[in-house]
Amino acid sequence: MVIEAVHVPESVEAVVTRSAAGGLVMGGGTVVMPLVNSGSAGVTELISLRRAGLDGIEVSDGVATIGAAATLTAVAEHPGLAFLRPALRTIASPTLRNQATVGGNLFVAQPYGDLAVCLLALDAACEIAGPAGRRDAPVADVLAAGLAPGEIVVAVRLTPPPPGAWHYHKAMRRRLNSASIVTVAAVVTKATPEDVAGECRIALGGVAPRPVRAPSAERALRGRPLTEESLTEAGQAARADIDPFDDAYASAWYRARVLPVHLRRAFLS
Amino acid sequence: MPSQIVSLVVNGEHREFIAAPGATLLACLRESLGLTAAKRGCAQGACGSCTVLVDGRPEASCLVAVETVAGGSVRTLEGVATGGDLDEVQSAFVDCFATQCGFCTSGMIMVAEALLDRNPDPSEEDVIEAISGNVCRCTGYRPIVQAVLEAAARRREEAVTR
Repeated sequence: MVIEAVHVPESVEAVVTRSAAGGLVMGGGTVVMPLVNSGSAGVTELISLRRAGLDGIEVSDGVATIGAAATLTAVAEHPGLAFLRPALRTIASPTLRNQATVGGNLFVAQPYGDLAVCLLALDAACEIAGPAGRRDAPVADVLAAGLAPGEIVVAVRLTPPPPGAWHYHKAMRRRLNSASIVTVAAVVTKATPEDVAGECRIALGGVAPRPVRAPSAERALRGRPLTEESLTEAGQAARADIDPFDDAYASAWYRARVLPVHLRRAFLS
Repeated sequence: MPSQIVSLVVNGEHREFIAAPGATLLACLRESLGLTAAKRGCAQGACGSCTVLVDGRPEASCLVAVETVAGGSVRTLEGVATGGDLDEVQSAFVDCFATQCGFCTSGMIMVAEALLDRNPDPSEEDVIEAISGNVCRCTGYRPIVQAVLEAAARRREEAVTR
């Protein structure tokens, strides 16, 4: 299909109105434009979020609100979100990170979408605007069920984890700029005074049709110290939570086989 | 929606041209403005040969619908040399044999320019990360990394002597 119009609305309301009339919403274009260039976008109208005023990032009172059109570079450069820098560095190239957006990352196909894996581990909330008004939804729901027609994610809201509680590791075929074989993101707070795992949220990428939580691994870890033994057990337990696939990067078999290793490395690297 | 007139500041000059809906920044640079340094390689954002600076940052111009950057500032390889003199990055690419077929060169130089603008003293790792979205099928990358480090050193030296 040939593109007949590119809309660049300048407010959320204008995006929603436009979106209700049809057209594909795009953030930075890193996913939509390849489809346009190959003639397989399946739409005739595009709606860009580039001027919709959705690129703000605010961190105050321990809560970060990130506009859906904030680029991955902007997130990495924000002093209040420094804990995400190592994770962002594993996503695409610096050039594409100047274009790719936080909101867009929620809607990319696996094995991409490593920031969505992080947001799942962080139990982030999505602020959504649509024809019926505004609503909030857990990022887990948006990843699992998507949005209603005409709705867009306008921001994600998260609580940066306390020092030492954030863990991230991504296995890929190259050191930089490659898709996920296994991605592990986790928030594990220590319960004092025993120094064992307290609150535990582990999210996985690359091992299912979408980013998934690993409740079996979380159960295996809760109340135990983070040791090679407990983490290996948690990694093996996580195999119950995945539904891996074959692609050019790795086989489903390989992903399941190496998951415990990479889950452990997320904590003890 | 019909074609529309789009304005951009390209290499410091105000330019206007007519763009069909959904035309990429790359297509406009090459076909409307005759600036053919940026290349169409994969058209998927995977090869980096179309890289230009948009408001100072490298972007894959094949993934930019031109309407979305209207009014913005774009820098291409054509804007790097001043008055026919190669700049430090360009001359280091020549001296370090960092270009063979040349298809990736304009993208490589533009990410190098952006890197050195922000970080005048990059480590080898910084350079490798900066060019990680740019594919070269000739050189094996080693001469390119050396050229960027050499350009950084020359630029720092000039800053001292100036």
